[in-house]
Amino acid sequence: MSGFSRMELHQHQFLESFDLLQKRHIVPPFPSKTENAEFEGKQSIDPELFCCTLNAFPETQSLLDKSRLPLGIHLHPFKELSEEELPVVHSGVILRCRSCRAYLNPFVHFLDRRRWRCNVCFRVNETHEDIDCEISGGHFVPKSKRTELRRAAIEYIAPSEYMLRPPQPTVLFFVLDVSSSALESGYVSAVCKCLKETLSSLPGGSRTLVGILAFNSALHFFNIKSSLSQPQMMVVSDLEDFFLPSPEGLLVNLKESREQVESLLEQLPSIYDKAKSPFDPKCALGPAIQAAFKLVAPSGGRITVFQCGLPNCGAGELKARETTADLSSKVKDVLHLDAATDFYKQLALDCSAQQVAVDVFLLSSAYADLASTSCVSKFSSGCVYHYPKFPDFNKFKADFRRYLTRSLGFEAVLRIRCTRGISLHTFHGHFFVRSTDLLSLPNVNPDHSFSMQLAIEESLKDVPSVCLQSALLYTNVQGERRIRIFTLCLPVANRLSDLYNSANQHAIISLLSKMGVDRSLASSVGDAREALITALLDILRGYHQTQPNSQRSLQLIMPTCLSLLALRVQALLKHKAFRLSGGVPVDHRVFAMILLKCLSVQDLSRFIYPSMYALHELSEENIIPLRSGAEYSLPTLQLSAEKVSREGAYLIDDGQTLTTWIGKDISADFCVDIMGKESFPLLPEASVGFPDLDNPRSKAVRDFVRQLQNKRNGHTPSVIVIREDSRLKSLFTQHLVDDRTESAMSYYEFLVHIQKELNK
Amino acid sequence: EFIQQNEERDGVRFTWNALPASRLEGTRLVVPVACLFTPLKERPDLPPVQYDPVVSNRSPNCLLNPFCQVDFHAKTWTCPLSHQRNALPSQYRGISEQQQPAEILPQFTTLEYTLQRGSTAPLVFLIVLDTCMEEDDLQAAKESLQMALSLLPQNAMIGLITFGRVVQLHELGCEGISKSYVFKGTKEVMQKQIQDLLGLARGSQPQQQQGGQGNPVTQQPSHISGTNRFLQPVQMCDMSLTDLLSELQCDPWPVPVGKRPLRAAGAAMSLAIGLLESTFPNTGARIMLFIGGPCTQGPGIVVDNELKNPIRSYLSIEKGDARYIKKATKFYDSLASRAAESGHIVDIFSCALDQNGLYEMKSLCSKTGGHLVMGDSFNTSLFKQSFQRVFSKDSKGDFRMAFNATLEVKTSRELKVIGAVGPCISMKKNNGSVSDTEIGVGGTSMWKMCGLDPSTTVAFFFEVANQHSAPVPQGHRGIIQFVLSYQHPSGQRRIRVTTVSRNFVDSSTPQHIHASFDQEAAAVILARMAMIKAEADDGPDVLRWLDRSLIRLCQKVGEYLKDDPSSFRLSEAFSLFPQFVFHLRRSQFLQTFNNSPDESAYYKNKLLLEDVTTCLVMIQPILYSYSFNGPPEPVLLDSSSIQPDKILLMDSFFHILIFHGETIASWRSQGFHNQPDHENFRQLLQAPMDDAQEILRNRFPMSRYIDCDQGDSQSRFLLSKVNPSQTHNNMYGWGQDAGAPVLTDDVSLQVFMEHLKKLAVSSSS
Ligand SMILES: [Zn+2]
Ligand SMILES: [Zn+2]
Repeated sequence: MSGFSRMELHQHQFLESFDLLQKRHIVPPFPSKTENAEFEGKQSIDPELFCCTLNAFPETQSLLDKSRLPLGIHLHPFKELSEEELPVVHSGVILRCRSCRAYLNPFVHFLDRRRWRCNVCFRVNETHEDIDCEISGGHFVPKSKRTELRRAAIEYIAPSEYMLRPPQPTVLFFVLDVSSSALESGYVSAVCKCLKETLSSLPGGSRTLVGILAFNSALHFFNIKSSLSQPQMMVVSDLEDFFLPSPEGLLVNLKESREQVESLLEQLPSIYDKAKSPFDPKCALGPAIQAAFKLVAPSGGRITVFQCGLPNCGAGELKARETTADLSSKVKDVLHLDAATDFYKQLALDCSAQQVAVDVFLLSSAYADLASTSCVSKFSSGCVYHYPKFPDFNKFKADFRRYLTRSLGFEAVLRIRCTRGISLHTFHGHFFVRSTDLLSLPNVNPDHSFSMQLAIEESLKDVPSVCLQSALLYTNVQGERRIRIFTLCLPVANRLSDLYNSANQHAIISLLSKMGVDRSLASSVGDAREALITALLDILRGYHQTQPNSQRSLQLIMPTCLSLLALRVQALLKHKAFRLSGGVPVDHRVFAMILLKCLSVQDLSRFIYPSMYALHELSEENIIPLRSGAEYSLPTLQLSAEKVSREGAYLIDDGQTLTTWIGKDISADFCVDIMGKESFPLLPEASVGFPDLDNPRSKAVRDFVRQLQNKRNGHTPSVIVIREDSRLKSLFTQHLVDDRTESAMSYYEFLVHIQKELNK
Repeated sequence: EFIQQNEERDGVRFTWNALPASRLEGTRLVVPVACLFTPLKERPDLPPVQYDPVVSNRSPNCLLNPFCQVDFHAKTWTCPLSHQRNALPSQYRGISEQQQPAEILPQFTTLEYTLQRGSTAPLVFLIVLDTCMEEDDLQAAKESLQMALSLLPQNAMIGLITFGRVVQLHELGCEGISKSYVFKGTKEVMQKQIQDLLGLARGSQPQQQQGGQGNPVTQQPSHISGTNRFLQPVQMCDMSLTDLLSELQCDPWPVPVGKRPLRAAGAAMSLAIGLLESTFPNTGARIMLFIGGPCTQGPGIVVDNELKNPIRSYLSIEKGDARYIKKATKFYDSLASRAAESGHIVDIFSCALDQNGLYEMKSLCSKTGGHLVMGDSFNTSLFKQSFQRVFSKDSKGDFRMAFNATLEVKTSRELKVIGAVGPCISMKKNNGSVSDTEIGVGGTSMWKMCGLDPSTTVAFFFEVANQHSAPVPQGHRGIIQFVLSYQHPSGQRRIRVTTVSRNFVDSSTPQHIHASFDQEAAAVILARMAMIKAEADDGPDVLRWLDRSLIRLCQKVGEYLKDDPSSFRLSEAFSLFPQFVFHLRRSQFLQTFNNSPDESAYYKNKLLLEDVTTCLVMIQPILYSYSFNGPPEPVLLDSSSIQPDKILLMDSFFHILIFHGETIASWRSQGFHNQPDHENFRQLLQAPMDDAQEILRNRFPMSRYIDCDQGDSQSRFLLSKVNPSQTHNNMYGWGQDAGAPVLTDDVSLQVFMEHLKKLAVSSSS
């Protein structure tokens, strides 16, 4: 088969090329959902779960090198899916290749009723049972109802041989910073309130174990054994020579100790009332996590850490590295992105070995050295959250509530198998790499995303198709051992133009941003910026070669499927993670980088280039019917002041915040209907959320906002509404990345600059 | 009668009630000039004196007393110790021969002043409770504590430390969640940690509590804000402490098979002592340790947690196998010194079937005047009643306890003080009447006594300053003044002054001195000296010293013809003395056989605390005999007193034993006493039990009560005490009903006396 003929199925959408300078307003009004194309008539996997940067797989590494396109896959292995999207197979025997242990999937070839060729290692396997096949076009095509032969995303209930030990219960341990600066923010009562309200909806049912630990300069343990009439607080101030103060009651069965847990949550806010507490600026974060680890280690589980300041005592003590000079707008490069100590990484590795993940909620506007402390999550498959603008609890509360109630997987391992000749070489996300294709994930959650870069070690010339299969073995909150299999099958391309035309630009920009983060850490942010521009230039040059009538002077020509690449690279250069101007506090930058590494492709696209909507245009007419019900739909706008009118109200959604801007000349109707005020001058300068007003338009706005919030993974964006003349207006205008700023080019200037570079 | 009167009035008993004229004369008397002084002897008859004492302005700054010469005209008084003339203060202007203040009246050689300045300090009780116990034991201990709580005055400060594998310091008076600070049991709790805890190290200014203005005793930052979290007035934390105690559970750490629980008694005590040091220095306080087993980890470890390694015994100590003993003793000694320096008492309530390490911990009590109570279980009446008695009250409704006292001894210039043996430590003060030699705690004229009660008795040793060449003239009076300053349980500061005088006697009339001998006091003094010697020397050395002392004394005071033992006579004043020594030699104080180191420590502790009469009971138990032949009568502590038709009641202080002779026992076992026609037998059985109850009523700690029959194994407690006048070695010479033979190789009193006579009259020695 020729490469072209293999590509037939994909041609229809991507053949036209595109001059960037001619057409600058290229943001599609309604993002078309990219689909992994059907392959050999079988339904492919949803690209939101599993996708490759190229929908046609290059035959050789040299072909890939020539294209200058990045090759990698994005995997969202634990996304919350319905039974319809993810069928669960209960059957006892799991069919796997005897040689490479790949799972039977819809893309294997049957030689006859009992024999199938593995599409990873090409070994022929025999089954004990007959697979009912029919012969079609010279092939055996199984008619079997077996789900694994029909569906590319599937979940097995694992039999006992997949368990090293009885499945662990859901273990949730909370570690609260109660140093003086923490009490200042008053977050303890927010945490306790959320936790108390969600106790019944915590995952794990009657087996769930919980525990709480607080710390300042000392560790405060809580004995919440069910036989006690009151919780008991036990303070350990000797951090040098750590020990647990009690062998029991510190981690308890929630169902049995429900009363004690509730009582504790009720009393904690008053115990840690800042007025009553003595001044204690010390923050023994390291010892606190060590203590929690000691308690959780025997079973494995999740440690949730609230950090409100720089850990300044005990093991893992850190010094304030960031200075005001680092924050000035004229910096050559960004410092302190690396961890100051191995401590948190080592702790994470210890945790990982005992199936413990550590999630960090950083609630601090002051420098807390997230670069160092986040390592505890990074290597233990944990999550990191950052709330710098405390005490604005809205986003935190919403996120925390979702965090508490979302599904969880424990003691997980993720293995990626690729067709022989393909190797994985760089991993992105939070995990510990146990071996070349195996990631250790003490916890896996619906918001976890992973990316891997691929290399082609052997030519795939004789390979009919490439198969990439992820297998996630985990324990669910009900204590069942399960295996989630995603299989992605791709055609092989041997022509450069096929590669360009099969490019998935969202996946590419996502991968580039992750590589940029790595480059920033390994080298510098300046290097990362250069690398991003170089990647863009290389792709432009590479694509130029494929054009039949190539001219001397290179134009900014891209295939349609890569039309947004330059715009996104330009946005990335202005992004908090990579910009050199504007004094981004290092913790904010580190957090942005963590998000770049961990967000799914969809969330990342929005994080890099937010969606802007003209809110004043929202009405009943924007409703579109969907299978799951009705939905409001507004066109997205290019992020430019050109698109913003003073008579309008605009909402920018970057996945973290929904920032609404209201123009001076907005209609009085809008003010009344949406904001409940007579006119613009009466609007508050800035407010959080939209008021709940009894009119269809207000309801439409709030529904629209809710709809945007629900689409997120993990983060629930908070809603901020600001007036055009507000002092906070930069919260909105900073997102208008197409426009020129004091220190950065506009998108058009950027393109001109790129063209100049191309023709150097 | 003179002796008795003096004891009644002043709580003083001298070995010699007349004083030798020179130092050499004193040495020749063998038994040193010494007294047993009970500084707080209950004197409900003393008038309340609500003013400060008049003090002479020259060293040794003695207090105005009945021995002073007062010139009513010139309004001056002459101190009998320094012979200095002092002007009376202005408020004594009205003084005349008709109007004399109490302190110079002859009947008030002992007088108590209640100081007017200074504020009253609260009583402080810090409970240190072991939780490595059986459920029942812990429950009983908790109940006793609840009881104690109800007896404490509302303003008393109370604190709670519990320990097992870890040590917990409980915050009191918090509502809702109870809070405790937890310390590792394997480390000594350092002063710095405690200061951090109390907020002292963070630079926050210690705040004076209201009402504590200008108390001279508590100038240190004693009532800092942080204190309140751990030491709270009873009225503030009554409820929360009750809840806390009821919630308290046995140490939750699992104990593997073949192991002892890890028990951090040493770390707990270091925390307790450190806490009070920081919060109530120089204020009366009791640390009450309740311990149910030996310390098995950390500082003060007595035995490790391997059950296969038994706790040290006398045997293993002798062999040098007791690997922890030195370090542990040193650790507790240093804690004891710290507590004592701060004026704090440590009580130990130790209950277990095996040893708990009292041998190592004993100085905690002996240096601070704390109680040492030893029992089998907290769930026994022995513990419960003993503990209750700690909180008994006197006729005025005050606790029978005094705190943070100093006792100064001032002497007239003919006398010097050698040292003190009792629950005290030196305050390293020399008022000019201190001897160069030392017995017990010497080199000082002032001692600190952290805790004392009305029976606490200290032995003081004296020597005559005059050399043989310049003896004190006949008829001269030696005067000794004891000045005790203490914190009364009411919080008041009080001073009790006791001034005694004894006449010097010329060496030409030794019979006057001999006649003044108090053999009971002397026996106790000798016993205490033996205890001191036993600390340093081996058992046999101590016995040899004791024997030699007795022989030399007999040589000195006996009437005899040289080398004729049969001619040997002792005057009445010495008649019982050899017998006391005989029993002392056989007592648990000097014999380790059948006793564990802990038991010995317990017994010795008591001997160093009590007054003459009580100590004498410990040395030579009292025996009563009950029979149909008449009312109960005291009988000789002799095997001949054991008769089949008699019931014996023995009081050895530590044990109260009722012993039924063979016949009585068999009647009893047949239940005759339950038959109406044998009412008199029932009464006979009942009588010693009633008497025993009577003895036990005020006994502290409660004696172990033993009810046994002739032939029981329990009867060994009696047999080990009686003089074995009939043993299996000599019984054939005795008639059938002349008593019961005792299975022992010990010499009998008779043999002992024969030897003594022989040696005393021997011209060669
Ligand atoms: Zn295979
Ligand atoms: Zn004087």
